[in-house]
Amino acid sequence: MNDLYLIYKNMTRKPLRLFLTCFAIFIAFLIFSAVTTLKSALDSGVDLAADDRLVVVNSINFTQPLPIAYYQKVAAIEGVKEVTHLNWFGGFYQDAKNQIITMAVEPESYLRVYNEVVVIPEQKSAWLQTRQGILIGRKLAETQGWKIGDKIPLSSNIFSHKDGGHSWEFVVSGIFDGVDENYDTRYAVFHYKYFMETQTFGGDWIGWMTLVTQDPSINQQVADVIDATFANSQAETDTSTEKAFNKAFIEQIGNIGLIIFGVVFMAFFTILIVVGNTMALAVRERTGEIAVLKTLGFSAPRVFGMVLVESLLVALIGGFLGLAMGWLIIEGAKSSMAQFLPNLAMGGDIVAQAVLYMILLGLVTGLVPAYNALRLNIITAFNRS
Amino acid sequence: MTSLFAQIGTVAMMNIRSLPRRLWMSLAMVLASAVVVAILLAFLAMAKGFESTMNSAGSDRVAVMMREGSAAEINSVITREQVNLIEESPGIARDTEGAPLVSPELYVIVDGLKKSSATKANIPLRGINTTGMAMRGNMQLVEGRMFTAGTNELIVGTGVLREFDGFALGEEVRFGKNVWTVVGVFTTGGNVFESELWADVKVIQSHYDRGSSYQTIRAQLETPGDISGLEKTIELEPRLNLEVQTESAYFAAQGKQLEYMAIFGRVISAIMALGALAGALNTMYTSVADRAKEIATLRTLGFSNLSAFCGTMIEALVLSAAGGLLGSAAAFLFFDGLSASTLGGSFTQVVFSFEMSPDLFAQGAQLALLIGFTSGFFPAWRAARLPVIVAFRAAT
Repeated sequence: MNDLYLIYKNMTRKPLRLFLTCFAIFIAFLIFSAVTTLKSALDSGVDLAADDRLVVVNSINFTQPLPIAYYQKVAAIEGVKEVTHLNWFGGFYQDAKNQIITMAVEPESYLRVYNEVVVIPEQKSAWLQTRQGILIGRKLAETQGWKIGDKIPLSSNIFSHKDGGHSWEFVVSGIFDGVDENYDTRYAVFHYKYFMETQTFGGDWIGWMTLVTQDPSINQQVADVIDATFANSQAETDTSTEKAFNKAFIEQIGNIGLIIFGVVFMAFFTILIVVGNTMALAVRERTGEIAVLKTLGFSAPRVFGMVLVESLLVALIGGFLGLAMGWLIIEGAKSSMAQFLPNLAMGGDIVAQAVLYMILLGLVTGLVPAYNALRLNIITAFNRS
Repeated sequence: MTSLFAQIGTVAMMNIRSLPRRLWMSLAMVLASAVVVAILLAFLAMAKGFESTMNSAGSDRVAVMMREGSAAEINSVITREQVNLIEESPGIARDTEGAPLVSPELYVIVDGLKKSSATKANIPLRGINTTGMAMRGNMQLVEGRMFTAGTNELIVGTGVLREFDGFALGEEVRFGKNVWTVVGVFTTGGNVFESELWADVKVIQSHYDRGSSYQTIRAQLETPGDISGLEKTIELEPRLNLEVQTESAYFAAQGKQLEYMAIFGRVISAIMALGALAGALNTMYTSVADRAKEIATLRTLGFSNLSAFCGTMIEALVLSAAGGLLGSAAAFLFFDGLSASTLGGSFTQVVFSFEMSPDLFAQGAQLALLIGFTSGFFPAWRAARLPVIVAFRAAT
């Protein structure tokens, strides 16, 4: 009869209690893994933004426009390698709920600044030469079922076409991929000129500019020069790195996310405390038996180890089942959530964190009873029972 | 019959008096149901707070008009000509001199520094006139004075003041090259308008290069809720490519935005309730095992099965109800009135407070009792069915 067999026997002596305890741990880790994955997916938009790109927006707010003349002025500033300008189109396809991220851009410089956008050369030149051409991201094209050469009408919830209505006709002239898997290609870009010539407000204004500098180390310098150039002018600018810009945007969704995750983590730990209490009780009940084991000649450290291994096992069984279930749910939800959360995946760090908590749970709940077992005086124990 | 009730009462009291013997397990059950209830209430209070911030802003007496398809105020554009046409429409209330109660408004976004994250966030700067202000029935200045028309003065909502830095009374605020002075603080009874800055619409038109254009038209209705007059005008006049709805309908739709939080909260707390249930069942089975000898004694003395069943059941319900109370109290303490802000449908920050309403407490209590009932039932069944002999043997 080896120790493991004894541990197994002890664990399964009250199968219902073992099941209930494991189940509670299972639930705790299921929630932990699913919610942590969700949180990291929400945060991942920030991590993917390039650190060496700068964004120039109107200092009042990024929804306020800038004069087109700024584009040439910024291009002329020393240290600026490539710059492009973009306008938010507010696009949707057929139904106002089916929003399509669409931007009017200066085509050639756009492809130079966003070098993670990959288009095959024929499609690239086709797009550059077609005034009504639109460049569609692979994932977007797949979800909408668009192919090269398709004529698609996109509507805007902001702008009006000068011929009436809010709908623009585009020709799909290219489909682009991201340079790697994680690049989110669910958007479309089209010609700024076509946009300006056909919308009712007219005017020569742009939404914002994105640029790359000669070297990331001079980013701060270049940003300062740009903002100084336009200080006290008609439209002052605010230049920041794309990463900082995206981060600020996500911060706008605000502390509600923080509050929610705080609440869920509190709950996670409370469930662990509740479960830990039951596990500790299971050992306390057996004081008499431990005394018997010791009488039979089991050494104190050996009893200590057995008690500890038992609680660790319970924590790991429940925990890993919960983790596995969480993974299954995330995998199942992946395709339907892809539209909102493209980076939904349980990372190794989340798994590592969960395993750490399982071990901690096993140790904390096992340690005190195990220590008591270690110190147990056989005579007192027998007297007590 | 009376003796049965007396029996149940006796057994229940015995169970409850013996609780200190099982202190830790009992506390665990209380804690487990408290957490589940607190979680549910936290999510519901968030969704509720956001919804009532939106809903209470909308009035049935006011119609909102935007360019068709624009969905939110920020996207819309309206010309002076369209405003003139609307002013002639039937169905609009008029003041004593016969002037139409119509408020053309501008809605531009400016940056403010959010206190919680120290990052910039979108705040709406609304261009408005006195007619428009009168349409917000509950608008009141709590500090300072009204802005003077034609100047760079603005008044700030209390929500903005609460969540953002730099808008205190008397402070100068710089948006781009324009410097504004905060001359007043207003409240609108806790609704979404408090998340806004208000200034003279003409001044904003000129500073933001809007010519004579506006973004939305609000009109006081002759008959509350009746927009048919306006609908007809819009239908007959091709120059009016507008959508009209009552203000309450507009904000009710926007208030649904955080509904997913309530759904998320229900799902999370339902899953978590299963975990808590497992813990509670453990507690109750331990309780039955602990009292096996008592139960057997009582049954020998002639107490009925039912009294054993009910005694355990009542113990479970008392514990879970205590948990429910604890959870509700914690949720109330931590979350009720908690100020938060998020990006609303108009692409600007909506400042709102978590709201713990009585119906939420009722939902929390339901959940706690459900946990109590389920976790009590099976152990109580065991207590009632346990053969007396076995119970005595198990206890010794």
